Amino acid sequence: MFWKMAWRNLWRHRGRTLIMTSAVALAYAFLLLAMGMNDYAYYRMLDEAARAAGGDVLVHGDGYWDSRATDLVIPDGVEVLAAAERVPGVAVAIPRVLTHGLVSTSADSRPIMLQGIRPELESHMQDHSRHITRGDFLRDRPRDGIVLGARLANRLEVDIGDRVVLTGTRPDGEMTRALFHLTGILETGTRELDEMLGFTTLEAAQRALEMGPAITQVGLLAEQGVTADSLAAAVVLALGGGHGLEVLTWADAVPELIAMIEMDEAMDSIYMGLIFLVVLFSITNTFLMAVMERVREFGLLNALGLDHRRIGRLMLSETVLMTAVAMAAGFALGLIGHFAVSRWGISIAAFAGDEIEMGGIDMSDLVIHSLIVPTKWVVASALVAGATVASALYPAWRATRLAPAEAMRFYE
Amino acid sequence: MGGTHTIEQTAGVTPGTWENGALIRVRELSRIYYQGEIEVHALRGTDLDIGEGEFTALAGPSGSGKTTLLNVIGALDRPTSGRVEVAGRDITGLDKGQAAEFRLNTVGFIFQAYNLVPVLSAYENAEFTLLLRGMSATERRALVEPLMERVGLVDMMHRKPHELSGGQQQRAAIVRALATSPRIVLADEPTANLDSETSGSLLDLMLELNAELGTTFVFSTHDPAVIERARRLVELLDGRVHRDSVSAVA
Repeated sequence: MFWKMAWRNLWRHRGRTLIMTSAVALAYAFLLLAMGMNDYAYYRMLDEAARAAGGDVLVHGDGYWDSRATDLVIPDGVEVLAAAERVPGVAVAIPRVLTHGLVSTSADSRPIMLQGIRPELESHMQDHSRHITRGDFLRDRPRDGIVLGARLANRLEVDIGDRVVLTGTRPDGEMTRALFHLTGILETGTRELDEMLGFTTLEAAQRALEMGPAITQVGLLAEQGVTADSLAAAVVLALGGGHGLEVLTWADAVPELIAMIEMDEAMDSIYMGLIFLVVLFSITNTFLMAVMERVREFGLLNALGLDHRRIGRLMLSETVLMTAVAMAAGFALGLIGHFAVSRWGISIAAFAGDEIEMGGIDMSDLVIHSLIVPTKWVVASALVAGATVASALYPAWRATRLAPAEAMRFYE
Repeated sequence: MGGTHTIEQTAGVTPGTWENGALIRVRELSRIYYQGEIEVHALRGTDLDIGEGEFTALAGPSGSGKTTLLNVIGALDRPTSGRVEVAGRDITGLDKGQAAEFRLNTVGFIFQAYNLVPVLSAYENAEFTLLLRGMSATERRALVEPLMERVGLVDMMHRKPHELSGGQQQRAAIVRALATSPRIVLADEPTANLDSETSGSLLDLMLELNAELGTTFVFSTHDPAVIERARRLVELLDGRVHRDSVSAVA
């Protein structure tokens, strides 16, 4: 009877209840969908970040990542690469030479961020060839071919087949020069990258910088289900403690992105919290109105022997039922939204233009889908349920404070 | 139909015949309300005894203290001073929970208006107090249905209050008041919103139930029909018992 009364009371003012229920349902659905979209964006950002960093786990000469000093190399590159490849949980080990230098033509000299890579291995991480607008991606002339960003090539006034001279620093600190032929031009969509980026083969870079077998970086891609942290620990172990080397997870490598995501999550939580606070205040206000309208009824119930505790419980039961209805509707709406966004996606470029960089990572091709993180949905749902029911605590308390005789006398 | 004659008693201490074994005993009862800065003396040292099985009307002009006295006897209100005993139990010091428990187990209420819970049917309203006592659906049905039949509401017992006339609503309230077999039914102007014919039949019904069940009825009223049928008439004036008379049915 108690629940029956609560249920019927809830629908005494259909319009009001529908408005309250809709407010909670829509806010809850919005929360779920926003969470799903944010979590997908974070997942993609982290994935992109791992790829942009060069792998789930990175091995360098000790201190390289912070200083980017060209003398901090992995001298025995072949052995370290082989040892890393044997670590359980490593899907692919990718050797790289990374250097900063100057690239010159008769027209101009520009700074370059050059990567010496093995294209067939890089495709496991990032398919640079998809950005090629002219020529090819290091297929021709593997010994002295170079691929430049479109803006860089433009400033140097070079075209496919033209020669460029790289001035770089050897591991021993001496300057060196090497001749390359332009085999491809790529456009990443990020202005800074297109103005500075260049690729050549690993061997060509080693030869140009007179590095011998040394390399700058080994990027490791983890097998499915293997975390970056556990893989990094295994790599340190396999490299005999990693003396003279540094082993970083991608998260260590791009802390600014992690910080940005954490800040973004915190801002989202505050934003959603504020939206819910507004909704909850309106619910509290409406419930309070309902209590004041029903003073005489509460007086009657109390006169009949329903004690104050149970009157409070009756009010709370009404809220629990309303919350259950609202959350069921909100969950359904949230799920529909989730499936729709997952299916069709929302292109960020359509809203924010072509060049989007987050924490130094190119996100210009990001299409937002939705990702359910079950624990987050459960926690958010519990918070919504708790907060909505809590919004009726004050009105329920007010209902319990009514003296029956006064309630019956003054509110006729 | 027999005639009646009246035994009149000057206001003051209630006659000894009623004091012995009185179900309700009121002593030196006062109740002061505050309306802003103004003190309103609703009761001023009222004394009254009501015996078990009596059919008593509290009459008097507006503001004479009828409803306040009824509220204090029913533990709906607490007096400023004085003492009320019901069935030997002092109810003036009850806390809110004890007062609710007392009302549930000892008193049945019929109010002037807004007697029924609007979201419950007449039957559900009638069984409400039994439900609060923790009775099963079968037990409740066994108690409520005969009373519904007795007051002529069997065919309408699943209607909501707004689908019933004023008289039918009061009948449902009577069933609810009597369903728990309380020792006392307190009725605050139960016929005030009813036409004279409906009032008459309702009072006849309560008189019959009073005779059949031995339940003590105490009314507050202005209604001549109630006063006429009351076995005992207690007239209040300015918060005191002004006149106390018994109608003996010949």
